[in-house]
Amino acid sequence: MTTPRPILLAEDNPRDVELILAAMAEHNLANEIVVCRDGVEALDYLYRRRGFSARRQGNPAVILLDLKMPKVDGLEVLRTIKADTGLKPIPVVMLTSSREERDLVQSYALGANAYVVKPVDFHSYFNAIKALGIFWGDVNEPPPGLARTTANGCSTG
Amino acid sequence: MHWSIENRMVAGFGLVLAFVLVIGVVSYFNTKKLIANSHADARSHGALQMLEGILSTAENADLGQRRYLITGEESYLSPYRTAVSRLPEQLRYLRETTADSAAQQSRLDSLEKLITKSLDSSKAEIALRTNEGFEGVRHLIFASRVKNEIDEIRLLIEEMENEENKTLTRRAEESQASTHDTILLLALATLLQSVLLGSVYYLIRHDITQRKRVATELRHRGEQLEAANKELEAFSYSVSHDLRAPLRHIDGYVGLLEKAAVTTLDEKARRYLATISESAKQMGQLIDDLLVFSRMGRAEMRDTPVYLDQLVKEVQHELRHDTQGRNIAWRIGPLPTVHGDPAMLRLVLINLISNAVKFTRTRPLATIEIGSASGRPGEKVVFVRDNGVGFDMQYVEKLFGVFQRLHRAEEFDGTGIGLANVRRIIHRHGGRTWAEGTVDGGATFYFSLPTGMEPA
Repeated sequence: MTTPRPILLAEDNPRDVELILAAMAEHNLANEIVVCRDGVEALDYLYRRRGFSARRQGNPAVILLDLKMPKVDGLEVLRTIKADTGLKPIPVVMLTSSREERDLVQSYALGANAYVVKPVDFHSYFNAIKALGIFWGDVNEPPPGLARTTANGCSTG
Repeated sequence: MHWSIENRMVAGFGLVLAFVLVIGVVSYFNTKKLIANSHADARSHGALQMLEGILSTAENADLGQRRYLITGEESYLSPYRTAVSRLPEQLRYLRETTADSAAQQSRLDSLEKLITKSLDSSKAEIALRTNEGFEGVRHLIFASRVKNEIDEIRLLIEEMENEENKTLTRRAEESQASTHDTILLLALATLLQSVLLGSVYYLIRHDITQRKRVATELRHRGEQLEAANKELEAFSYSVSHDLRAPLRHIDGYVGLLEKAAVTTLDEKARRYLATISESAKQMGQLIDDLLVFSRMGRAEMRDTPVYLDQLVKEVQHELRHDTQGRNIAWRIGPLPTVHGDPAMLRLVLINLISNAVKFTRTRPLATIEIGSASGRPGEKVVFVRDNGVGFDMQYVEKLFGVFQRLHRAEEFDGTGIGLANVRRIIHRHGGRTWAEGTVDGGATFYFSLPTGMEPA
């Protein structure tokens, strides 16, 4: 059986990371979840640079991308991904606190595949994350890429 | 006395104009006088010439006549004949040219008499010579009579010439004085006009400088306002992002805790957790509402016709979940078409109608009336009336304030920002909001919109 491709989660807030991982865990997703804590790390992972040079080749099944992150923010990461022919096919889901219209507009303009506002309400939040995991990790057929791989590198959950 | 810049300019230019007029009038009269003087001078010169002419005619006639008396030679009488034929005409001309001087006229009378006398005596002597020959006039030739008359004529003419010359001199002095006055007046007026125009120029320049300064200041304030607005926008953006995260974490960890400790928590502990969770959600709602309120004050407004009839139907549809299972009698009258921002006016109607639905919840039969009323000239008034719990008119002004509530939270939910949004939107449209109500007697909320919309 092939290993499903990992889900890349770029999120700077450890609490959000914990909540998201808890929600994902409820569904027992087969996908490995790679967590990067800022934009630089996320790009390093994607380009297999620095600490990620040893990871196996292959793009993640989906990137869950927070907007507001230290160093390089979500929009900048999105711009880089969508400008790179190798990374462009990876589905990117913006996962953010912001309901601001300009964030929505900018994200879609840069080629985001989905935009999800993190709800304050725990149950809604949990359900949204579960739905994301199920859809992008399981239901959605990812673009054909390199052989499905297991990543190591970033912390995994 | 403080005059406006316009009045001072008008006064300045008015004075300059008055000076120009005075100069014009004075110059006109002076020039007219100069012309009159020059005509009079021409007449005087004519008179002087004529006096000389008369004298020489008379002298020539006298000389010829005396030669005739001596020689009897007919040809010597020619100057005499010329004198006889020309002198009356010359005298008439002289009378005309000296018509403006009584003294000269009276001298002319004497001159005329003298000349007539002289010519008459000459005529008699010539007749004597012709009839009686040289002997008849011998006594005359050696007498000095004729010479006396001519001398008298010469003297008189000299006197008249002197008089004319004196008049000429007087007139020349007069003209010179008048010209001098005119030049003086012109110089003075030019000076005054320069001063006036200078001060008007100063006034205008001062005014322009001031206006420029005000414009610069306004631009500066506009920039400051824009900067403040940008800051505010950054602030709300930050609030929207960062304030929600901790709330999400509170509720999230409460959720995790509930899941983890579901078997060990007792009823009381679960109620505490539920309260924490409820408070977090409520604060989330407050933040969202506040962001909407802030956006309402900054968002750009559209200006299109808004069909309120249609809009009310849409809002009713939107609120169908709140009205489901309720017994509500809707009375919706004809509503005007107004000008404004459709999304904002929609929010106004959503707030007012959902309030009406909310505050009639305790009524077995709720009545909600939406209609138009007459307002002040130039505005359209719309109202939403219900038979709900109403309010005390004492607190009417608090109704439209941000986070102002007149009911306890457990009675009616809501963050208390709806009516503040209504007021802000209506104000931005240039309209008014007000309300009437009695405790337990229902409430009516009004808003007006100008018929010619002027966005605030």
